[in-house]
Amino acid sequence: MSNVIETAHLTKRYGSRTVVDDLSLRVPHGCVYGFLGPNGSGKSTTMKMLLSLIRPTHGDVLIMGQPMTRTSRRRLLAHVGSLIEAPPGYGHLTGRENMRIMQRLLDLPQRQIDWAVDTVRLRSQMGKRVRNFSLGMKQRLGIALALARQPQLLILDEPTNGLDPAGIEEIRELLRNLAASGVTVMVSSHLLGEIDKTATTLGILSEGRLLFQGTRSQLMAASRPDVIIETSDPRFAQSMLRQSLDCRTDGRATRIAQADDAATARAVSTLVHAGVDVFEVRRDDQTLEDVFIDLTKAGGL
Amino acid sequence: MRLVVNEFAKMRHLRVGALVLVLLTGVVGLTAFRGLASGMTAQLGDPAGFPWKILLAGLGFSAGLISPLVIAAIASRQVEAEHAGNGWLLSATSGVTPGRMCRSKFLALGALVTAATVLQSLILIAIGFGLGITSPLPLEHWLGYTAAVIVVNLAVLAAHLLLSSTIENQLVCMGIAVIGLFIAVFGSALPDWLAMLTPWGYYALTAPADYIGTDLVYLDIPYLRVMLLGLVGVCLFSLITARFDRREE
Repeated sequence: MSNVIETAHLTKRYGSRTVVDDLSLRVPHGCVYGFLGPNGSGKSTTMKMLLSLIRPTHGDVLIMGQPMTRTSRRRLLAHVGSLIEAPPGYGHLTGRENMRIMQRLLDLPQRQIDWAVDTVRLRSQMGKRVRNFSLGMKQRLGIALALARQPQLLILDEPTNGLDPAGIEEIRELLRNLAASGVTVMVSSHLLGEIDKTATTLGILSEGRLLFQGTRSQLMAASRPDVIIETSDPRFAQSMLRQSLDCRTDGRATRIAQADDAATARAVSTLVHAGVDVFEVRRDDQTLEDVFIDLTKAGGL
Repeated sequence: MRLVVNEFAKMRHLRVGALVLVLLTGVVGLTAFRGLASGMTAQLGDPAGFPWKILLAGLGFSAGLISPLVIAAIASRQVEAEHAGNGWLLSATSGVTPGRMCRSKFLALGALVTAATVLQSLILIAIGFGLGITSPLPLEHWLGYTAAVIVVNLAVLAAHLLLSSTIENQLVCMGIAVIGLFIAVFGSALPDWLAMLTPWGYYALTAPADYIGTDLVYLDIPYLRVMLLGLVGVCLFSLITARFDRREE
């Protein structure tokens, strides 16, 4: 089993509004899959379809090689932990009582409960009522509830939402440790920076469509940063190049968007023949965040 | 069974136990007070069994006055915890659908409500004997009424579980319970067919004894209608919770 999650043409429509559009996800075994997209891009809807909480309008979901349907859901969910939307937890009960409810629900042995509580480092707080927990503690309890079944797959919807930097780092470390122990983790976020350091595979969603899926380096390679040409007369350079290229002046430089190597060579040649001194030609330094923003803004690579 | 045990576990700190106690002591207390205030102690030896009649009539009145609100509060407390704690989603991601949760809640709370209803009658009978009523206990009337009011209480409980699950704002549900209370208390003034349309109307329909002129007499409990309420209740509750099972979270 190479992929823990596979979807084929997964689509969800509400009336005429398409929320998720023809999604074909591949989540490899043992990875941390960063599922990225702006707010409202369809991440939560997709995750709910993966868990069979909502029915797809079209398409199929395979979890651990088996079709996820209303009939197979119960059996499959015994191996899939998840945290969707707000962290769960009965506020009037203590952390320990909440874990006991999960233990009874799935008929789990006590050692699994102990392992889950220790993994999220919540042992010392388990006697406290959940309504008195901080948001970070609630998130950790939610993850402990998901982990108690010792899942092969963990699906977390924006688990760092509302957490302070220390809390975010704690979740990152937790995800890394889980992946190292063989759990496949799918984690969504609208901020690349939050999961960039943790995710080994990325899926980028915008307006319900999958814009990119692959590793971090594949994403960087697939994107094409602007070409920056520094010349003696940037305004004249821009007027020369704008007839055939998408370019603009940026201080001393002329910035050309979406230029491949041949277009870059032609641009340099045009400027040299026009008598413009060319001081420097380089590709712009681009962070993964820039690529992500460009992608989601432009709607594709 | 594990789900039902979980429902009992969720009751901790929700004061459901205290509410069940209110259901029990409220009905018993009001019935006993009404009996004593009606001069029951002066006629303990009445061969026509006046003291038993006045106790049973009081029980019917008190059940209609107290049960609709208290049962609504019990259902609301148990369901509100799911809304507030994201419990529906937590269970759904563990393979337990909302409809199944509702059915488990009904079994757990239904057991408590039934126990309280049976105890109401038993305690009142014990009070009757304790006070020294000498006429024989009209067992068939007490048994018949207790069985009928159990069905009515369970129907009201089921209705409120469905309401509280559907409407997140529990104040709305309690508002509906107040309307139910009026129907229960003043239902005897409504035509039978109208009282039969809601579960609360059956508190009035099942009144076990009442004054006709100056005579306190036992009334016939409409067992067939109560059975119909039970049957329709079971069908509707099963149907609606089955719909909950298909609900998208």
